[in-house]
Amino acid sequence: MFDHGQPSYADVNKDVLSTMLETGPRYWILLGTTMSIAVICFFMPWLYQLFVGIGAAGMNRNAVWGTYISNFIFWIGLSHSGTLLSAVLHITNSHWRKSIYRSAEAMTLFSLMTAALFIMVHVGRVWFVHWTFPIPNPMGLWPNFRSPLMFDVMAITTYLTASSIFIYMGSVPDFAAVRDASTGLRRRLYTIFSFGWRGTAREWHTLGWAYTFFAVFVIPLAVSVHSIVSWDFALSIVPGLHHTIFAPYFVCGAIYSGTAGIVTVMYCLRKFLGFEKYIGQVHLDNLGKLLIALSLIWSYINILELFSTWYGGTSFELEALKFRLTGFYAPLYWEMITFCAFVPLLIFFKKIRWSWNKMLVVSILINIGMLTERFIIVATSLPRKFLPDAFGFYLPSWVEISITIGSFAIFATLFLIFIKWVPAVSLYEVKETLKPLRRNT
Amino acid sequence: MSKISRRDLLQYIGAGGIGAVGGVLYGESIERPVELLVPQVVPPEDFSPGIATWYNTVCNQCSAGCGISVRIREGKAKKIEGNPVHPVSQGRLCARGQSGLNALYNPDRIRAPLTNAGQRGTGSFHPIDWDEALTTIGSRISRLKIEDDASRVRLLTGRVRGHLDELFAQFMDLLGSQHYQQYDFTNPSALLAANRISFGTEQLPYYDIKNADLLLSFGADYLGTWISPVHHGLAYGHMRQGRAARRGKTVQVEPRMSLSGAAADEWIAARPGTEGLLALGLAHVLVSDGHYSGSDRAEWSNALQAHSPSVVSAATDVPEDKILQLAREFASSKASLAIAGGATTAGTNAVASAVAVNALNQLAGNLGQPGGIIFNADQAFSTSPDAKPVGMQGILDLVAAMESGEVDVLLLHDSNPVFSLPDGVGFREAIDKVPLVVALSSFRDETTELADFVLPTNIYLESWGDDVPDPGVGFPVASISQPVVAKLYDTLSAGDIILSLARQIGGELPIQMSWGSMEEFVRERWRAEFDKRESDAAEQDFEEFWQAAIAAGVWGQPGATAGDQLVPSAASTIAAISDPVSEFAGSESEYPFVLHPFLTATFLDGRGANLPWLQELPDPMTSVVYGSWVELNPATADELGIEEGDVLEVVSTAGSVRVPALIFPAIRPGVVAMPVGQGHEAYGRYATDRGVNPIHIVAAQMDAEAGDLAWAATRVKIRNTGERMQVVKIGGVSRTLGRQILGPADGHA
Amino acid sequence: MVSTFVEKLKAYSKPGYYDEFEYHWTMTIDLDRCTGCEACVVACQAENNLPIVGEKRYARNREIKWIRIERYWEGDYPDVKMGFIPILCQHCDDAPCETVCPVFATYHNRDGLNTQVYNRCIGTRSCAIYCPYEVRYFNWFTYTWDEPLEQQLNPDVSVREKGVMEKCTFCIQRIRIAKDNAKDDDKRRVRDGEVVPACVQSCPTEAMVFGDSNDPEAEVSKKMKNERGYKVLEELNTTPSVVYLKKAHA
Repeated sequence: MFDHGQPSYADVNKDVLSTMLETGPRYWILLGTTMSIAVICFFMPWLYQLFVGIGAAGMNRNAVWGTYISNFIFWIGLSHSGTLLSAVLHITNSHWRKSIYRSAEAMTLFSLMTAALFIMVHVGRVWFVHWTFPIPNPMGLWPNFRSPLMFDVMAITTYLTASSIFIYMGSVPDFAAVRDASTGLRRRLYTIFSFGWRGTAREWHTLGWAYTFFAVFVIPLAVSVHSIVSWDFALSIVPGLHHTIFAPYFVCGAIYSGTAGIVTVMYCLRKFLGFEKYIGQVHLDNLGKLLIALSLIWSYINILELFSTWYGGTSFELEALKFRLTGFYAPLYWEMITFCAFVPLLIFFKKIRWSWNKMLVVSILINIGMLTERFIIVATSLPRKFLPDAFGFYLPSWVEISITIGSFAIFATLFLIFIKWVPAVSLYEVKETLKPLRRNT
Repeated sequence: MSKISRRDLLQYIGAGGIGAVGGVLYGESIERPVELLVPQVVPPEDFSPGIATWYNTVCNQCSAGCGISVRIREGKAKKIEGNPVHPVSQGRLCARGQSGLNALYNPDRIRAPLTNAGQRGTGSFHPIDWDEALTTIGSRISRLKIEDDASRVRLLTGRVRGHLDELFAQFMDLLGSQHYQQYDFTNPSALLAANRISFGTEQLPYYDIKNADLLLSFGADYLGTWISPVHHGLAYGHMRQGRAARRGKTVQVEPRMSLSGAAADEWIAARPGTEGLLALGLAHVLVSDGHYSGSDRAEWSNALQAHSPSVVSAATDVPEDKILQLAREFASSKASLAIAGGATTAGTNAVASAVAVNALNQLAGNLGQPGGIIFNADQAFSTSPDAKPVGMQGILDLVAAMESGEVDVLLLHDSNPVFSLPDGVGFREAIDKVPLVVALSSFRDETTELADFVLPTNIYLESWGDDVPDPGVGFPVASISQPVVAKLYDTLSAGDIILSLARQIGGELPIQMSWGSMEEFVRERWRAEFDKRESDAAEQDFEEFWQAAIAAGVWGQPGATAGDQLVPSAASTIAAISDPVSEFAGSESEYPFVLHPFLTATFLDGRGANLPWLQELPDPMTSVVYGSWVELNPATADELGIEEGDVLEVVSTAGSVRVPALIFPAIRPGVVAMPVGQGHEAYGRYATDRGVNPIHIVAAQMDAEAGDLAWAATRVKIRNTGERMQVVKIGGVSRTLGRQILGPADGHA
Repeated sequence: MVSTFVEKLKAYSKPGYYDEFEYHWTMTIDLDRCTGCEACVVACQAENNLPIVGEKRYARNREIKWIRIERYWEGDYPDVKMGFIPILCQHCDDAPCETVCPVFATYHNRDGLNTQVYNRCIGTRSCAIYCPYEVRYFNWFTYTWDEPLEQQLNPDVSVREKGVMEKCTFCIQRIRIAKDNAKDDDKRRVRDGEVVPACVQSCPTEAMVFGDSNDPEAEVSKKMKNERGYKVLEELNTTPSVVYLKKAHA
């Protein structure tokens, strides 16, 4: 698992904790940049939109949903990375997850937060968005629990809560390690964060049990969350959206884009935090195999969609499909197919699979493809509904494009803050994989 | 408690005092919010807040004269509906009528009298007093009168009926000028001329579409823009589904499908200008096939000899069997009616074509019959005895007079010849030679911009007046127009302006025209009519009658039809039958397309372009908003490689315009169509600099007998400029794509 | 307790969850009479304070016209026909839009109307996604009227701010006034012809008929049974309250 020979326990502490405790100017510059981009590209256009109205975006009578929703789904999708890696692989006892799962779980959390932000941007009167929560109020009104959007609210809140607890819980021993390695204010903070962890056998036992419990809990949660998000579309009768395959399609796509996201983030961690020792060939290899498997499933589902639309033969569905394949956004559709179905086939080749640089390119292309896929679903179905004289078009405006870019900056900012507050590589789990030193050798 | 020193005490008092004074000042400076929340604690007396009142009056958005009911809340007009008791509108109203509120509350209304201080045409006006304006104008006119030169005063108005017409006529008469004329682009001059020839009538008859079984329309967009669309709509609805087991059929003959063409069961795209010939062809079949059994068969046969189906078919490009089938249907229907309008009555052969259509009606024997042509009874009152010119001929005469310096004072009211006539008429140049131009107008349209004085008029919703609908409804009807709101600005109604001018001019005028206001004048005139008919009325007091009439907005005598509808002999029609050959400006080789400008259901001839609701309203046939377009046949567009949005230059012998292209499935290949109404250079923020005006490129030709512009007689060529422009429309894909939207697929065809 | 629960469950399968509607407002539109003149469109604009959207926003497909005329060509020149069909909110008894609103801003009331509550709407716009007729319109901006056009605004209808969805209400303000008047007048039922939405009132060809289909004597109940009657997109089972009468043939 370790490409460059096995590090010692002290090495692990030193390498990981130094990323937290020592901060160079490069970090501040990077953080400053991402925060500025986040403010300029996300918050300022959002403020403009709050004053002017949702009309600042490009949506119209047909395409009332646009990039805000498609980005929302993309970010929820990206959030499946952590869950899969952390929970599923934990249950199957895959050791190679140990050095990367912390960052993956962080990715989940921050993706969810970014996704929640998109909902706030999307909604017409965001100052009333709390009405979707079942809070007792003087109007005596409950929200409409039959609504797929309410399922969304419930699911995402649950997922967010569960993921936060999951990652926090798993980090408690590491917080203790930070506490032990630091002084002053930081020590006091991390004493609080670590809940006074002493590393007794009983504590380890409890942690292990709780962690496994959450892992088991979070897996069906993740599957249900993205199924529920897909049902925002699938429970409508809009041609192109009203397919039963949507739940598996979206879950598969989510795990797919999440895994690709992990590859990207791991590359960055290796490069910028010097974690080459801990994140190596075996991780890349396994992630690559995972990607291939998911890519094949994804391609299969796409073929299923095409086939069932053709087979069903209704004018509504065929027209939406025709628009998707040959209309204004056809180049985007084919780009999506290339990046998500064909490019990942390269991973079959070891030369690709074992090269970090090449895999970085592949993972970014996959995510671009997945972002496009969400957009295609929205932008090519809505302008082709039931009444032909009501067909329209959709063109995102500068506000939407800027906010999309800004969302990546927000994610990056959150992640950059994360690596300074939580050990990006799980100290204790990595140490579990090390062969213990013998006393007399 | 600690000891307080004197110094401390003084300080405390001082601080407290300053604080108190400051507080009081601050309190006084806060605006009393109550004034903003409750504007009228004691409401004015003329309305009850929260309760709506309805006033009946007459719509002025087109010449149909529909009665309307206006809903007033807190002294403001909120909604216009059709007046349920008015025989023309019967409680219904069209899109233009509904938009009258946009005219009343238009942000670009002229709010006070204006003068341009000698810089005519620059658009720089400044406000002046009514007194000053009226004195200046009045003294100018009175000087001319004293010098016996009052014939140098001319009055040009839009189409005005009712007693305002009489007021204008009396004013000009007393002045000593016989130059009172009207101009309205939508005036059916050719129809009137043809009816004069065929039936000897001066008014339009009542076309009884309601009871027809076969309505054959030659170019007349009776549902959209022809004469009285609301009433025709009512009639159409009844004709289709209002009679048990009897559904009327409609056929439309025109080169470009209009709204009525879309509603028709059959649309026949005859060659432009040959519709009259087609009518003659049908007439020929009616006579030759023995469907017509009148005593003057021989004369008919003679007159129609040359128009056999084969000849007509070749000329009109309508298949011969279609002509035969149509003729037979026309003959065998219980109630057949043929009407003419649109481009058919706008070529150089307009009158000849309309006479041909009259011939069809005469052969069908529908004169005076239900479902046919019903001659209107004597009008409720006749206003001016002399027919005054209402067509382009009148404008040409006026232009000639202006050019040769014969006009000193030109009074304009509600007419926009600069916009709705071709540049070739030379109105704009001629008006330069007139020393004093006065416009009575509510909006600064193109013609008003050329005035020296602008006297702002009330909108029809703020005015007293009356109207006799034309065409009538088969019995005497008169409508009353009353103000439904207090006037918004410092304006006067046109009648009041004339009365004030009369007072300024002095002499005989204020003596003969002694009414203090338009209201008084209308009332007095109605009293005169009432007294005349006293024997008819049920011993009523005039006051009672007047109040009832105002409340209803209309008076009518449903029982009194035009006696025994005297059926005019066909002799004059037969004599008038001629070969309706139409001439086009421009040779076919150089200008391969015929230009078909069409009145739009939204703007009509452009008068509605300053109303935002109408600009927002998608054009019924194409769904385009806020702009102009030129329509091409799909095959033609394919051939020339033109797509929707390509900016084309449309060139005629009279000029050129640039306009985006639109592919239109229901237009003849050799015809391009453009909507009339946009392309204003002035007329408010909603109308200005939007689209193009096709009348600019219409050649200034006339049908001499109709005395009006032949706007369908221009040929054009088109050139793709290579530029592109978005044609803003809300329609998507206008094909059902096999979906059952217009109804389930039939078992039968 | 089980039986009430079962009853509640069964209620979900009834249109609008009610056992019966107090009134069941229905409209019929006779396509053989409709000429596409668009008088109804402007009447609705005037009555319901619809904004003047402007050319720029029209160009981006953001019009707000609660009733619109759709046009469909059939055939090609010279055998070409055009059919008009006014499309407005169908007030479906099984409305897809009602189930999806997370805050109950749109719901079915006891009169069979699909109502829109402006002040509850938070603008998720999912109702517009779910509506197959695309008759829901969103306020992308807060629209203003050039002074003094706002003097015309109907005080019985709220003016919507940005972020709120709107659509045809069958002129619910007129329905409410009629019901109030009927209640004052000896607590009787609203009679046929007392409620006329703006579009129905203005239609020159009398193509539109409106009334209570719970009343077998109402004109609309008789018109509904016409053999030419059909509903648009009936196969989607939305159970619309608007019945169209197919254009007849010569």
